[in-house]
Amino acid sequence: MISIGIDAGAATTKAVVLRENEIAAYTIIPTGFDFRKAGEAAYREVLSKCSTGDSEVGKILATGYGRSSIGFADKTISEITAHARGVGYLIPAAHTIIDIGGQDSKVISIENGKVVDFLMNDRCAAGTGKFLEYTAKALEISLDELGMLAEVSKNPAKISSMCTVFAESEVISLRAQKTKKEDIAAGLIESIILRTTSMVKKLGIKPEVAFVGGAAKNPGIVKALEKALDIRIKLPEEPQITGALGAALFA
Amino acid sequence: MNDKIVENDIFLKSLDFFKDAFPGRINQILKSKEEGKKIVGTLCLYVPDELIYACGADRVILCGGRSAPIEAAEEYLPRNLCPLIKSSFGSVIDQKCSKTKSCPHFGLVDLIVAEATCDGKKKMYELLNQYIPTHVMDLPQKPENQNALEYYIKELESLKDVLEKLTGNKITEAQLKNEIKSANKTRKLLHAIYELRKKDSPPIRGTEMLKVLQQMHFLSPDEFRKNLVLLLDELKVKKRENIGPRIMISGCPMASGNTKVPEIIEKRGGMIVVEESCTGTRAFWDLVDETKEPMRALAERYLKIPCACMYPNNRRIDQILKLAGDFNVGGVVYYTLQFCHGYNIEKYRVAEALKKAGIPLLSIETDYSAADTEQIKTRVDAFLEMLE
Repeated sequence: MISIGIDAGAATTKAVVLRENEIAAYTIIPTGFDFRKAGEAAYREVLSKCSTGDSEVGKILATGYGRSSIGFADKTISEITAHARGVGYLIPAAHTIIDIGGQDSKVISIENGKVVDFLMNDRCAAGTGKFLEYTAKALEISLDELGMLAEVSKNPAKISSMCTVFAESEVISLRAQKTKKEDIAAGLIESIILRTTSMVKKLGIKPEVAFVGGAAKNPGIVKALEKALDIRIKLPEEPQITGALGAALFA
Repeated sequence: MNDKIVENDIFLKSLDFFKDAFPGRINQILKSKEEGKKIVGTLCLYVPDELIYACGADRVILCGGRSAPIEAAEEYLPRNLCPLIKSSFGSVIDQKCSKTKSCPHFGLVDLIVAEATCDGKKKMYELLNQYIPTHVMDLPQKPENQNALEYYIKELESLKDVLEKLTGNKITEAQLKNEIKSANKTRKLLHAIYELRKKDSPPIRGTEMLKVLQQMHFLSPDEFRKNLVLLLDELKVKKRENIGPRIMISGCPMASGNTKVPEIIEKRGGMIVVEESCTGTRAFWDLVDETKEPMRALAERYLKIPCACMYPNNRRIDQILKLAGDFNVGGVVYYTLQFCHGYNIEKYRVAEALKKAGIPLLSIETDYSAADTEQIKTRVDAFLEMLE
């Protein structure tokens, strides 16, 4: 029997198949408008990836922002609990998790894969993947380019707007002032890092620190975060699936 | 699958009165107004009911908990202002704030007795005064100061004069003592109900208790008390099985119409057992000393209310820790209205104290809109999963 975890995230839907407590397959697809459809598509895809049929499927657990839309799941858990379990499995020494996802960012203190305390950003997109996505657009570059560009900046611009919409206008006025592209890129990353580190410090930092979520796949952000926290960060091989993995482990 | 509330949950018959109290109470006020009774509007616990009733007037609370009137209020007030202030003000200026004229009590009020608590309210009262005569009672901001009590007594004396002028009646000591006695009875009944909530299987949920407390300053004290007796009798024989983590709510008031966060907490499987709030313990915790000179006794009692507009406010932190122990609380949900600086800033010290005591805290800052419902659900789910 296998168990499946589905993380119905705001930007991407992730699915993990667990067979005898080992990851047999995983998939990451864009969520689009419909959480349920994305959940079903991820389920089909991940099953075909490990050449498994429906009959072998034991329990299915859903997590993530759209977890309640995954009608075929046996149970739901919050992504905070799921990430803790998933990270605890991959990095047993982890005590702090930083997650920057599409919809929100959070910092979680864990002990043996269990949540001890957590903080989450407020309702808006400030300090999330969406912030970078939008502001990168104002620079006419992709997210990956943003990270790479930032690394060569010697003089990061100061971006003071926390609000995604305001930051976008700020980027446009910086462009008008002929600020270098790489300096704006570095400024944007610095601003998101500032927001994250203030949450980390509020909660208290305890190594090892694991970084997950879509933003963890951006080397520029990882480097900036390591610098700001003055610590080596542990990255799972695939930082986007720890929520789905945690859900599968609970199934 | 979404909401985990127990399906065959028990039903409390005596709650119906509190849930459906609005039209009856409005008719009652209309009638007594015709008979010449003056109606006082209030927006805070620091205004003693006892004085208003000893003067032969009636009162209704004007605190707004609904989002509908906010739009109208924002023509006058900044968007970055606490929703309670905007909702209250909006209800007054927008006479047709709903199709059913659901706020007709605002049109019934002869005088508003307001209070100098937070900056937002104080400035709003300046505008409110243009619509309804408003008397603002000052409060000593450092209640532990040597002169604070004497100052507050003087403010109560002025309020007494204002009320006497409004009604044409004199407040006698005997009447005042009588009102104090009745109000204490109500407080004791609420204590008795909260005592039952300390049990392993509390007979009443937080969402239900909130409906009761939201009516405390809307209904007439006699009617409120009469129905508390019925509620207490019913609660004595009921109990709830399989309750989830025991939660305390601490923070801003939840005015009538505002039930968002407690509803999420209990639908997701938590059980609210106590509220350190203006719609909770702050409304009834301390009694008025019946053996003392009544004005002084009133001042002493009301000055003990641990509002975050006071400095220093260690009493509130002590109270939170005490309640957490007495009600065997598993975790605290710190509730603040957006832009409520007092409670928002005080959160830091409360969080520190709770951490030291080993009690988990979830902090939620929100307004009256439904926009953040899903985000709050995620936080609440994670918090309850952490406590289980």
